[in-house]
Amino acid sequence: MVNRFIIFIIAGVALLLAVMWALAAGQFPISITELVSLIFARITGAAAHAAPNADVVLFEIRGPRMIAALMVGAALAAAGAAYQNLFRNPLVSPDILGVSSGAALGAVLGIFLSLPIIAIQGLAFAGGLAAVTMIFFIGHKIRGHDPILALVLTGVVVGSLLGSALALVKYLADPYNQLPAITYWLLGSFSSVTQQDAAIAAVVFVISLTPLFLLRWRINLLALPDDEARALGLNVNRTRLIVILAATLMTGASVALCGIIGWVGLIVPHAVRLLVGAEFSRLLPLAMIVGGTFMLVIDTLGRTIAQVEIPPGVLTATIGTPIFIGLMAATFKRKN
Amino acid sequence: MLSIQNLAIGYAQRPLASNISFTLKAGEAIAVLGPNGCGKTTLFRTLLGLLPRLQGAIQLDTKSIGDLSATEIARNIAYVPQVSSSFFNFSVIEVVAMARTPHLAWYAQPGVPDRQIAASALAELGMADFAGRPFDELSGGERQLVLIARALAAEAPIILLDEPTASLDFGNQFLILDEITRLTSRGRAVLFTTHNPDHALRIAERTLAMSRSGHIDCGATAAILNSKSLTALYGIDVQLIPGPNGPITTVGK
Repeated sequence: MVNRFIIFIIAGVALLLAVMWALAAGQFPISITELVSLIFARITGAAAHAAPNADVVLFEIRGPRMIAALMVGAALAAAGAAYQNLFRNPLVSPDILGVSSGAALGAVLGIFLSLPIIAIQGLAFAGGLAAVTMIFFIGHKIRGHDPILALVLTGVVVGSLLGSALALVKYLADPYNQLPAITYWLLGSFSSVTQQDAAIAAVVFVISLTPLFLLRWRINLLALPDDEARALGLNVNRTRLIVILAATLMTGASVALCGIIGWVGLIVPHAVRLLVGAEFSRLLPLAMIVGGTFMLVIDTLGRTIAQVEIPPGVLTATIGTPIFIGLMAATFKRKN
Repeated sequence: MLSIQNLAIGYAQRPLASNISFTLKAGEAIAVLGPNGCGKTTLFRTLLGLLPRLQGAIQLDTKSIGDLSATEIARNIAYVPQVSSSFFNFSVIEVVAMARTPHLAWYAQPGVPDRQIAASALAELGMADFAGRPFDELSGGERQLVLIARALAAEAPIILLDEPTASLDFGNQFLILDEITRLTSRGRAVLFTTHNPDHALRIAERTLAMSRSGHIDCGATAAILNSKSLTALYGIDVQLIPGPNGPITTVGK
């Protein structure tokens, strides 16, 4: 128990450091003392000792961006943890399952039709739900020899189908206005997140997180074979449906906010499970803290290490690919 | 008390067995014997309410199983599945605490009293030291004991065990049989399936023999299991010979 407590403390401290770094670093550096003074000034109404315009940079640019990165990281990690239990498979995540591609197709359609943000969110959710439903049923029908492989391959196939639909929308889009917007947004970025976008996404995150939190114990039982879970008194189908809807809604909201950012939903819950075990009521909060911290660090790195901003999806893929290969090797080794 | 009358089990297109009638009372063990594919697992799934019955009645005390919710069934009947491995590293105490689910509100997680019940169930099986260990790192026999502890922690009067001795080594098989006897001496009603007639002869007061043709015999183990019935049941030449603790089987020629 002491160990787990220490892990939570370390994660909390890392989160705090990441937040300070994200607020301080950038083209317009703000020192730690300025940062403290600005926040203190905002709360008390006193005058701040900081460079002019620092408050605008802090509260209107970096603040919403930081909150968006934290929310998206936490949401993708929570959705990944839920999907992994649901599919009894530690190698799935919103992006591997094609949920992100489905949500992206929905969101891109929304951009293509010039719809408001709330409609783009709705389409992203519908697209993600369509993808996860398709994968769930195909995986169910062809499960036999190797469920992990079947599910991952199904995700790849469905993902590529959705990718071609996405290509069609891009082909049809107006090449001067819509196409650059779609392409830029598909790369995944927090740079264009506005306060209003972040506020709408925050509401959706809270709505979709609530059932995951309330069902935190019962989600554990979803990792058991169906008969066993039902004999323990669990309404398996209803619980599964609620968890799918909640995790997909979260993924859809993330994708609508900042495009597809892969790997976070796979690696973070998997690594956290290695640290504190599979029990979902411990896994969920820690995965969210670590996911948010990871996303924020990636985004801050992306906008500070080079002259041009590096999309976060590029960085997560660079880090994610070798980790995924390692996890896959470990999983198959453990099975045999 | 579980009472079964004229039960028919199986699937609409493929009925497996019919005319199953028996009563399971507190403090007794009934063995279910039969060749592969005779419907032992289907019987269990039907009794647990996981599969609709084709005909007949299953009464739990005074109520029909069809009128009970999954939670009510789980509070009364604990199920011990065959040992399987999971991809998720739950600790032993967490696996046992899962039995408390039917006693919890849908949004709750096991509290201190539930953890105490889980811990004492482990202690009863001599597994107290295993509480913090990852379930997946245990041996087959240890996992089976943990799953039996989980059935104890459910505090259900009836326990169904699906091939509790399958995939265990010789020594562990008898350890599990002794635990089943201790369950009945604590007043639990136990129904278990087995592939070994000697296990039925050793610990079960009564036996339900299911043949592949769907024929069902149920009665005192000594009356149901004899050289003739076992030979017919399994299609090989089985002889029952006297042993030091009662009859045992041997397969001839």
